[in-house]
Amino acid sequence: MKKIFYIIPAALLLFSSCEEKLDINQNPVQPVTTSSNLMLPGIEGNMAYHLYSHARYATYHSMYLTSRYGTARIEDRWDYNQITRLGAWRWHYFDVGSNAIGLIERAQQEGSDNYEGVGKIMLAYSYLTATDSFGDMPVLEAYTGDFSPTYDTQDVVYKEIERLLDEGMASLQASDAGDKTMNATSDLIYQGNLQHWMSFAHAIKAKMYLRTANFDGGYDRVMNEVNAALANWKDAIYYYSSNPQRDWERNMWGPSTPSPQWNFADIRNYLTYSVPTDFFMNYLTVDEPNIQYDPRLFKLTTPGEDNTYEAARVSLGLEGRDMSEFPNLYNGHWTSDSSPLPYVLEEELLFIKAEVAFHQGNKPAALEAYREGILTNMNRLGVEQDSLSNYMESAKVRKAADALKISDIMTQKYIALYLQPESWVDMRRYQYKETAYPGIYYPENVLTEFGGKWIQRLPYDPQTEYIYNPQEIERLGASARDWVTKKFWWEANSTL
Amino acid sequence: MKKSIRSMLWGLCLLLLHAHTFAQSASITGVVTSADDGIPLPGVTVRVKGGTDGTFTGPDGQYTINAEKGQVLVYSFIGFLPQERTIGNEGVINISLKTDAKTLDEVVVTALGIERDKRTLTYSVQTIGGEDLQDSNQPNIVNALQGQVAGAQITSSGGSPGLPSEIILRGVSSLTGDNQPLIIVDGVRVSNASINGTSNRLSDFNPNDIENVSILKGASASALYGIDAASGAVIITTKKGKAGDMRINAAYNTVVETVGRLPEQQKLYTVGFGGTFDNSTTSSWGRKYRVDEPIYDNPQRFFQTGVTHDANVNINGGTEKYTYYLSGNYRNGTSTIPNTEVDRLSLLMKGNSQLSEKLSFSASANYIANTIKEGLVGSSSGGWGNSIYRYPLRYDIEGYQYPNGDPNYVFYNNNGTPDIINDDTGIISPLWGVHRNPRSTEVKRIVLNGLLSYDVLDWLNLSYRLGQDFYNQQYGYVNVPGTPGSLEGRLYQTTGNYTNITSTFNATIDKDITPDIHATAIFGTNSEYYEGESLSVSGEKFQNPDIHSVNVIEAPNIGLGEGYARRRRYGVYGDVKVEYKSLFSLSYTGRNDWSSTLPADNRSFYYSSLGASFAFSELMDSQHWFGKLRASYAKVGKDAPIYSTDANLIKYQGIGGGFVKDATAGNPNLKPETTTEKEFGVEFRLFDNRLTFDATYYDAKSEDQIIRARVPLPTGYVIQTFNAGSIHNKGIEVSMGGTPVKSGDFSWNVTLNAWGNRSKMLELPDQVRVFPYTFGQPYTAAIAGSKLDEPVLGLIGTDYKRNEDGYMIIGEDGYPVIDSENKQQYIGNREPKVNFGLINKFNYKNFSLSFLWDFRVGGDVYNATRLGMTSAGISEDVGEWRDREFVFNGVVDRGDGNYVKNTQPVVLDYNYFTTNYTAVGTNFVEKVNWARMRYATVSYSLPENISKRLNVSRMNIEFSAQNPILITNYSGGDPEVNSAGPNAGGAEGGSTMGVDYGAIPLPKSYSVGISVGF
Repeated sequence: MKKIFYIIPAALLLFSSCEEKLDINQNPVQPVTTSSNLMLPGIEGNMAYHLYSHARYATYHSMYLTSRYGTARIEDRWDYNQITRLGAWRWHYFDVGSNAIGLIERAQQEGSDNYEGVGKIMLAYSYLTATDSFGDMPVLEAYTGDFSPTYDTQDVVYKEIERLLDEGMASLQASDAGDKTMNATSDLIYQGNLQHWMSFAHAIKAKMYLRTANFDGGYDRVMNEVNAALANWKDAIYYYSSNPQRDWERNMWGPSTPSPQWNFADIRNYLTYSVPTDFFMNYLTVDEPNIQYDPRLFKLTTPGEDNTYEAARVSLGLEGRDMSEFPNLYNGHWTSDSSPLPYVLEEELLFIKAEVAFHQGNKPAALEAYREGILTNMNRLGVEQDSLSNYMESAKVRKAADALKISDIMTQKYIALYLQPESWVDMRRYQYKETAYPGIYYPENVLTEFGGKWIQRLPYDPQTEYIYNPQEIERLGASARDWVTKKFWWEANSTL
Repeated sequence: MKKSIRSMLWGLCLLLLHAHTFAQSASITGVVTSADDGIPLPGVTVRVKGGTDGTFTGPDGQYTINAEKGQVLVYSFIGFLPQERTIGNEGVINISLKTDAKTLDEVVVTALGIERDKRTLTYSVQTIGGEDLQDSNQPNIVNALQGQVAGAQITSSGGSPGLPSEIILRGVSSLTGDNQPLIIVDGVRVSNASINGTSNRLSDFNPNDIENVSILKGASASALYGIDAASGAVIITTKKGKAGDMRINAAYNTVVETVGRLPEQQKLYTVGFGGTFDNSTTSSWGRKYRVDEPIYDNPQRFFQTGVTHDANVNINGGTEKYTYYLSGNYRNGTSTIPNTEVDRLSLLMKGNSQLSEKLSFSASANYIANTIKEGLVGSSSGGWGNSIYRYPLRYDIEGYQYPNGDPNYVFYNNNGTPDIINDDTGIISPLWGVHRNPRSTEVKRIVLNGLLSYDVLDWLNLSYRLGQDFYNQQYGYVNVPGTPGSLEGRLYQTTGNYTNITSTFNATIDKDITPDIHATAIFGTNSEYYEGESLSVSGEKFQNPDIHSVNVIEAPNIGLGEGYARRRRYGVYGDVKVEYKSLFSLSYTGRNDWSSTLPADNRSFYYSSLGASFAFSELMDSQHWFGKLRASYAKVGKDAPIYSTDANLIKYQGIGGGFVKDATAGNPNLKPETTTEKEFGVEFRLFDNRLTFDATYYDAKSEDQIIRARVPLPTGYVIQTFNAGSIHNKGIEVSMGGTPVKSGDFSWNVTLNAWGNRSKMLELPDQVRVFPYTFGQPYTAAIAGSKLDEPVLGLIGTDYKRNEDGYMIIGEDGYPVIDSENKQQYIGNREPKVNFGLINKFNYKNFSLSFLWDFRVGGDVYNATRLGMTSAGISEDVGEWRDREFVFNGVVDRGDGNYVKNTQPVVLDYNYFTTNYTAVGTNFVEKVNWARMRYATVSYSLPENISKRLNVSRMNIEFSAQNPILITNYSGGDPEVNSAGPNAGGAEGGSTMGVDYGAIPLPKSYSVGISVGF
């Protein structure tokens, strides 16, 4: 019996030497941290994926496309009530956000102001992309380890974005030779050019201020930011491989329907099952003697089998026609495996400038920016000179400042930003009104229970938010069946 | 030839033994027989009391020994009471030994392999003999235990070879992670993991080698094992060599397997949408089949009859000082699924030597090669049966290829745009994948075991055991070029080396302190080291379509990954038990563990258990019966999954490379999870052991659950391991055994096991109310999950809106209204209410018959297979109800809060089925009962005179059937389902038992076997 009194101390003695042998709980084949230049490429790639994860829905809600069936739950009926995941939420908070925060922390330790600045700007852009689909979301209590953070209202989110951009720009200005090198290897967007990053930060501000300019903050600061951005502008574009071998190197819009992250059932490419809407096709139809279609149509899509360009009514599917009569959505400028994916394009800034000038009452400036926007987009898509001039001469393009209407600017921006989620923001800013989008109509197959209300937002990720933060979800009312029709702060307050 | 080897070995044994038997006086001879039946006993030890000389009886029970008059001869043999005889003048002493009922019936193997008298145990242990397992003819030991253990919930994942089976004792104690009991083979922990969803690794072991299996069901029984003991333990003891003549047993079995119960399909409507024919969809919502159109019975055409051969040989024997056991098993077969194969070889060598009177050494080595080639790669949430059950009957499932071997796509989903390169939307029969893309698992395993035991004093034993379970597992699959989704081909292969080293030192004390007080104690230390190294390779686009190797894949298309997991644990423990006269016993167990997986501050933890028993029958005149009460309380701790304390970075796969965060966050504050359990039991043995009864009530609570789960994304991570939540399980286990008839040639034995577990989710992390299981979510209508204050193995989903009386509320349109604001209602409990296992055994002369009925009462099954088939328009429901007029049994709101009965007839059309019926989980949750005959085995032993003539000592012929009868109210196939398999190996998600998502039914199989002993 007494043996225990010997064995236990003896064993304890043994274990004090074993203590070291127990220190084996760090994975020896996986790093815990790495230097900032090795963290940026992943953030930039994930940001492209993040934009896609919104665009994948927004293109249907902004009515560029509709499903060929007419029965698709989300695309045709706006019914998000049976989804299991909403990946876009994760692509912000984890894939871009968490990595950007890791980069910022690491850059601060290293004293690399350049990476710290870029990290903050990327985080800001990711927040803006996310909040414009989700609305209220945690920002002040995000990344604190809190399992049930408070959802901040969108104005608070915008303030945080503004703070991140200001801090980011300050860091860029503080950058010196002591920083870790940022070059084409580590920065796939601007190859380490901090001046361009500065312009990009101004562009994000311009986009953000534009959303509220009509009721808060005014148009002047938007104009200032746009001009600051355009002064030293280089397009913020994520380039996929020109000869992609793996899904990771392919544009998600491409015909290979790449799926590098296999577990994200909802971030898919359904162009195979999609056709252009008559609403969009009307904008691309000129129907004049020497010009039938907007020349960009041939750049954005490939002709159908019969060289015809049928269009479908929104949410009604093919209605008995054959797919071959519709244009093929693949292998257009933005929809091939090797297509680039834009963060922000010059034409977007030009159309912002046009819109702002228009609302400021400066129609000549608006017209100039508007025409420049069209030309920039035409040139980007490689439209041939004679088609371009035919188009510019057509009735589709305003020539006189007095005749310029807001719908001219918004429809041209809509065409130029084909497949970009920003178009859905614009459409909601103008509350789907015909004054901005002539010919817009409410789709027939939308759930009748929505009572004619338009789609305004995406639901939060059901797999996490509705499980871990049910109190906040309840407070917001986000489990209502018609949650997706609830207007945003900047839309509810809009005077447009 | 055989005979000469036998006599040689026999001679060798004699030589070894008789080294001392010269130079003595008189020679005594005689025959030792069994008092029961008078049959001669070979291998009985005969020795002179007080001396070192001894001998064994020969094959006919004969012995010869030299001894002097007045000396005492001692006859002893395992399972019999020893006998002494003083030598007189006689030269011949014949002895008949009486069986020792006590040792045969009442010694059970408990924690650390210690044999204990069952009469004084303070907790519940159930022992299953090897023959009972062999009667079931199941190659997977886990399945062989089905119905034989009160409290063991055993669920197969399906009837395809290589699918794992899950065993859970006393309910789920951990929400995520491993809930399966510890598996110990001869004192060494062995892996029962099912990596990559392949077979649970206990299936590697040869059931024929098993002497018995002891099930330590609760924390009290298994507390000495420390970490992981919260889920109980399965202690397997393999056969040992027995002293005496060499015995050879050989057996051969052929099994024929046919497909089990399949879900039914409609045979009325062809492909299409909403009633219109459309041959560009797999949906069967088209018009009615025309008379001239063929309708293929695809499920029946898909499955086939499988044949398995199983050969088994074992040899054992030895002397008093050395015994050996050698066995070999080879099993090879096909299954009900085409192009599948199981190939298992097992070789076991065991030896034991008594080095001196006090020191003994035993060692064993088990080599296993187990290769399984099986059907298709299932999705993580379920079986691949869906691809069979939903394949349109318009297409012949057997037409998966052209005569030249090219894939035969029945259509392209992507019609209208054929110019797209890489069109991988082709739809093809699932037989393409089965024949061309099977996955294979190849395991090479060696289990080594050495035990040195030293009897320091007659009451003190020291022992040291070192064991290693090592296996190499290669798992992989190939998608040959032409497979939709990977037209240019793809491969994945992972090779892992998994090692578990266990080292245990024990000091065992067994002493009568006073004539009335007996004390036993164990003090020991234990260390365990686990290492899992793996390398996985994936690649796509075979440059040469005929060769499926990375050698023909270009470098950029090859992906590599390395895994290296390690864990070390130390334990120090003590167990003291004091017995008073075999009337009372009291025991205390304490154990301290150290685990590398916990943060340094929390890695050491102590827990203890306490138990008492009271054999009240000892107070009375109880020559013919025995009665006991027992009670125990135990607390056990559990450590965290490996590498949960730090977050890691992983390689960024996209352009530019570098690193991104891994989705799993670290948690530097983890602490051990604890389970506390109370257990009360009562035992009776009545009518001279003719009737036994054992009942146990337990109540267990697991707290500070170590959960690895999704976390809200605003934390910056996707998954994290944390301490939260608590689970409560309680239940009753009853085991009864009886011998209703025992007369001369005829005997009838009955065993009944009955059990039921009730669980409740007491606490969930933070604000969480519903915890979904990662791999149990086939459709949003219902998922597997746990809801606060509800049973743990729950089903969560949607129901219709109901009024206060529970009637469905019918909308203005005449259809029931979905309660879609409350999508997370608790709608089912997947745990059966009560289970019964009823085993009957009849013996008449040379015949014996045994069969096991398995009854299950209650418990819900989520028929997600039917949900999917209904969405696709191919379920039997659709055939029966589609386009029929129907009045829903429900009520209509009159608008003033009053309800009237619904009378409005509506048509059950496409729209109803796809947007209403399949969106409601309760339509697919079924309360399932079954009566199932797990096995029936008839065997016949040839009479001795015939076997003698055949030159064998015995010969047995056996017919057996597995799963031949299944009576159930379930609307689908076989209701024994577990869509994502067991959670062994630390995978995320609790058990998915009761989730039917494309399950392959358990086969019905029939076997013929012959076994011979030499």
